[in-house]
Amino acid sequence: MTSAYNPINIYNLTVLKAAKNWCKHGFIEKDQLGAIRQTYAVPLYHPNSLIRILLFVATLFALSGATGFFTLIVADSGRIFISLACIVYGLASFYAVEKFFIAKNHYKSGVTEAIIYHSCGFVIGGLGGISDFNTHILLWSCLVIFSFAAFRYLDLVCTVCAIGSLAGILFFEFYSLDGIFKQIIPFVFMLGFAPVYFISKKLSQRVDLKLWRNNLLILEVVSLLLIYVGGNYLVVRELSVELMGLAIEEGADIPFAFIFYTTTVLFPVIYLFFGIKNKDIILLRVSLILIAFSAFTFKYYFSLGHPEITLTAAGIILIVTAISVMHYLKKMRNGFTRENLLTERWGNMNAEAFLISQTMGGNQTSLNKSDLPGGGQFGGGGSTNDF
Amino acid sequence: MTQDTPRELFEKGFINEEQFGKIEAITSGKIVSVFYELKSLLYLGVMLFTGGAGILIYKNIGELGHLISIIALSILTIICFWYVMAHAKAYSHKSVKPSTPYYDYITLLGCLLFVSVQGYLQFQYGFLTDNLGYITLLTTGLFFFVAYRFDHLGILSLAITALASFWSITVSPQKWYSGDFFSGSHLYKTAIIFGSVLSVIAIGLDKKAIKKHFTFTYLNFCMLIFFVGAIVGLFSGGWWGIYVLIIYAGCAFAYYMARWEKSFLFLLYAFVAGYLATTFLLAKTALAESIELWSLYSIASCGGFIYFIIKYRNHFKQND
Repeated sequence: MTSAYNPINIYNLTVLKAAKNWCKHGFIEKDQLGAIRQTYAVPLYHPNSLIRILLFVATLFALSGATGFFTLIVADSGRIFISLACIVYGLASFYAVEKFFIAKNHYKSGVTEAIIYHSCGFVIGGLGGISDFNTHILLWSCLVIFSFAAFRYLDLVCTVCAIGSLAGILFFEFYSLDGIFKQIIPFVFMLGFAPVYFISKKLSQRVDLKLWRNNLLILEVVSLLLIYVGGNYLVVRELSVELMGLAIEEGADIPFAFIFYTTTVLFPVIYLFFGIKNKDIILLRVSLILIAFSAFTFKYYFSLGHPEITLTAAGIILIVTAISVMHYLKKMRNGFTRENLLTERWGNMNAEAFLISQTMGGNQTSLNKSDLPGGGQFGGGGSTNDF
Repeated sequence: MTQDTPRELFEKGFINEEQFGKIEAITSGKIVSVFYELKSLLYLGVMLFTGGAGILIYKNIGELGHLISIIALSILTIICFWYVMAHAKAYSHKSVKPSTPYYDYITLLGCLLFVSVQGYLQFQYGFLTDNLGYITLLTTGLFFFVAYRFDHLGILSLAITALASFWSITVSPQKWYSGDFFSGSHLYKTAIIFGSVLSVIAIGLDKKAIKKHFTFTYLNFCMLIFFVGAIVGLFSGGWWGIYVLIIYAGCAFAYYMARWEKSFLFLLYAFVAGYLATTFLLAKTALAESIELWSLYSIASCGGFIYFIIKYRNHFKQND
């Protein structure tokens, strides 16, 4: 089974995108870009994000109409029949998207995604219906269908769902086996997703799999996260209490607590270390996020009270770290630079300005006089304080 | 786009060698930009800090007033010292002109603020009650360093005062006037020793030509402390004979210093102390009985002194 798209078209599209980016940052000239455009022309219909969202929503509406029609037909039939009909409907939708849209050179146009998700939903729902929504069957069908969609249509959301269902399967299987198997679920996650990470990393280097580069990237990130989640103290403890009815007295701790403290601290640090060593930007970014989460985990259980002091101190630490690294990287060191080399999709000055204005600007409401026990009003940054 | 795309474009002639080099370095991951990570960290840090600080201030503004004042004063002190260090001229054994007109004042401000912050801390929180000795020593060391490094006479005075107060000697004329000569008993002995030792040091430094312009200040303080200590010793009880001798020795020293530094002030010290000592001596011995001899003595001694000064005024040119 291969991708539904023409690999050459997809490749050319990526080249075009990259070339546009280079031209925007002044690495190549406009006429060079023009020449590349000519040679690498693609007939694909791939609109920008905004239009994709619009098309997606519009298609969902249209689909709901079609589904309504479908419902009318199969209503009042038995459960098995409805489920089978759903599966057929789903498969028919898959076929439809390939014949009517992808064949017409749609590539991730919003329309295709809507139909693909719609189809996935119906097939999985149908399979679930047949088995009377047995979790086991549901999870496995999720895995199969999402993997199929991810692979065939290069869809990233389906990739995430696929790996999510894999995690779900692992969790559920071990959970239902009970006894010792319940205890070792965290270790299963940690040990199970490590090979997933390394394999996807290896595969993303292969040239013949270049079509699935982004999917493999998602796999890398999610597997890194799941490895960490498997060892995170907060997750393990809360899930143990919730799902396994583990009762923890005052001052007592979950079994193997020491291991989980260690992994909560160690994993982000290891990620960071290897991220810097191998200049792997994915590891770097994930490690930063996870360091924050680990800090939160520890604060959750070992807070010294006074969250405002924690906040202020954390703020100071972050500012000092950022400024010292910026200062350290004034010249390029070991290939790390603080300059903005090639913009990324979401890294937009407008977006940043908007974000800042929303969180730190004068949009925050001041507290009402009646809300305060003591004297004085206090407003967020940008609004007035009077005492 | 793959890792080979730049090379492919280069070989097909779409980009030239130089562009290829630059682009390849980035896409192959040889150069990695952490621009957005750093910006996000900074942004997050600023947000957390302002949020936390805001809540802190809101919750604690009552008790915070003093703390904020202390912190503000400390920051101001640090700024003063930073400024002084940044604009400092090189060290020299000779007198150094300040680099800007207000340089000396900022140095002085910094040192005074330092003392104020200490005082504030002690008053508000009683931080230093147990360690008053150490903190005074620290202040002394700092002031001596500042005085020598940045060539500031005023701070030298502060330093000597601090050193004296370390030994519990108050060097303030106001306190002496109110009768509280020394805060403890037997401090006059400390004063005498302190005065002598420091003047020896001062003369030593002068001989080595290290900041000769400081010597006058040193001697001034030393003599004051020495004489006051000796005089108190004189009045304090037994062994006044020893103290008389000590005072005479001090007078001789002061006389020589007056000649050497060409300062009338030292001569004045010598005179006052010597006169006190002599009068005391005489009172205890010869003039115990008769009043008339007293009057005679007063006229004779002062008259003689005035005559002496006028006759030999050339010897005592005031050092300006």
